[in-house]
Amino acid sequence: MCKFGKFLLKFCGVLLLANAALFCVFFFDLDGKLLFRVVEPFLKNHYDKMERKDTLKAPYEIDKFPEYSYDS
Amino acid sequence: MAKRDIKKALRDFWYGKPHSAEEGGRRLGDLHEDKTHLYKHREWRGVKDTMYYFYMIWLYNYIFMVKDVMVMGGLLNFAKGVWRYRWVGQTYLPVLHWFDRGPEGMRGEAMKASAWHYRAMVSTTIRQFQRMFAADTRLHGGKQNELYKHTIAHNETVWGGVFYPWDGEITNVPLEMIPYFVTCHVNSHTVLNYIDAVQSIGLPGDPCPMCQAEAGIFVLDDVPDYAPAVVTCNEACDASVSTSTLQDWFFDKPLFSLPMAMQFDDPLVKKYCAREIEELWKFVEQQYGIPFSWDRLVRKLELQNELQRFEWEKWEVDVKTSYYPINGVAQALYRIYQTQYGDWEIWHVTDRKVRRIMEKCVRKKINTFPQTRHRVIAWSCAPLYYSNWCTWAYNCWGLNVVINMDSLMFDMEIRTDSYEHALEDMAQYHLWAPMRRMAVGGMKHMFELWEYMEKFNCDMVAMYDQLQCKGVQGLHGLFEDEFRDRNIKAFWIPHALPDSRTVSRAEIRSLINDYMTTVMHEEPLDPSLLDFDDSMTW
Repeated sequence: MCKFGKFLLKFCGVLLLANAALFCVFFFDLDGKLLFRVVEPFLKNHYDKMERKDTLKAPYEIDKFPEYSYDS
Repeated sequence: MAKRDIKKALRDFWYGKPHSAEEGGRRLGDLHEDKTHLYKHREWRGVKDTMYYFYMIWLYNYIFMVKDVMVMGGLLNFAKGVWRYRWVGQTYLPVLHWFDRGPEGMRGEAMKASAWHYRAMVSTTIRQFQRMFAADTRLHGGKQNELYKHTIAHNETVWGGVFYPWDGEITNVPLEMIPYFVTCHVNSHTVLNYIDAVQSIGLPGDPCPMCQAEAGIFVLDDVPDYAPAVVTCNEACDASVSTSTLQDWFFDKPLFSLPMAMQFDDPLVKKYCAREIEELWKFVEQQYGIPFSWDRLVRKLELQNELQRFEWEKWEVDVKTSYYPINGVAQALYRIYQTQYGDWEIWHVTDRKVRRIMEKCVRKKINTFPQTRHRVIAWSCAPLYYSNWCTWAYNCWGLNVVINMDSLMFDMEIRTDSYEHALEDMAQYHLWAPMRRMAVGGMKHMFELWEYMEKFNCDMVAMYDQLQCKGVQGLHGLFEDEFRDRNIKAFWIPHALPDSRTVSRAEIRSLINDYMTTVMHEEPLDPSLLDFDDSMTW
């Protein structure tokens, strides 16, 4: 078999395997399980620990911007 | 194994298991884990539909979500945004499971058309948060880049169409549509942080939880700084006014308040509203130094009218046939998203795809929801954390929600033959806002229900009851009286809009189950869906 033929065969094999693996992820909802049990708790933990500005300490400067007037 | 069993197994493998228990049903409830409601395995819908779902929905959407992120702002901005903002990281990664919940159990053309609607909503969502992140000064060392200078922020209750005159120059991105509204549908856990945050600073817990959540995002300092100016609106109620006050405080930017008149259907009010829109245009010109363009406005309004005309064509099929391929939740969400956000390319692409599917259904006379026992109209505002209740209701009871109030609100074209006509119709459109026209817009509009019920050949009403909306609460009794007087079959769905803790999904299901057994004396199509625990689900 020529080199190109061998390459094509290998390529198709890899494609088939990748396809089968992806189908397993899809069918058994492995993406959902990963996101629910690992990714979301990790990110939640990160957001919970995040330092946040105390927005209530910001002054409410209602006169900061020029007064808006309507055309008569 | 008997020959008959082998034949049945082969038929189930090829076509998928039949829907109802009598036919040896598929028992969708058994596919899920307890509490988390994650799939033990996804549904086998037969070879053709499973492969379509795998390649054209699951894989296609994962690939195109990555592509959208790359094209609209880049992976780096996305990664920074995910790390910084809870509403995107916690919510949008499991988006394919939002897909799963929408067309669960659907087959063939109904599954395809409904999923295309979801694809359009995901793409528009990515467009918005990527624009936020690309322009966000917080993610770019405090720098106000060119994108920042060409973006305007506004309340999600301001129709995106009022910014059409600056199409291509200024991008409008609603403040809450992505951090709040869409999150509730995709992952209902996220919004609870924001509701709790606003109550933690001493605000009462009984006003509309939508307004609480919208303000809570600011309290938790979780809003990107992506625009130099902001437009707010008092729509839908006085709680929204309070939200705007907090937004004005925390966002600290030049602000234009676009009022929503409390009066309704009054020509003078329309005139007043038109003038306010013109004032808004003046504000945008002043803030951005870019002139109003009539040509751009006309072009975009005509594109929007094109979307509206296709919607009317869809309704024709929905009304007159059983070939309509869009399920209740896809219909409701796509339509409200499209009409409120305004014209955008992906809506047209989706509509072309859906047109092909719908025409095929009509041509081949495909009964898209063959287990329909009742044609249901859903009225008032839906529970955001359980917008897919109608998918469950069809699968379990054969309740086919063929139309809903949110789809019918903006039932109009906008004239473009003159400036005066365009402005007048835009004012009308603005006044027919979500949670306004048929929710608190007066008896005439609330009771348009009877008219639409007849038009869409519905024999049952699913009446939403937003427990924290004082406006709609006041009308509960009137509807009860009307249902009795008119001898209309109706069941109530109480909920607290985004807050899944007030009335759980299980309670909603249980109320519908009770109605279907005690009033209608019917048997479920799929008994495995009657009672299950999904208390921890997204």
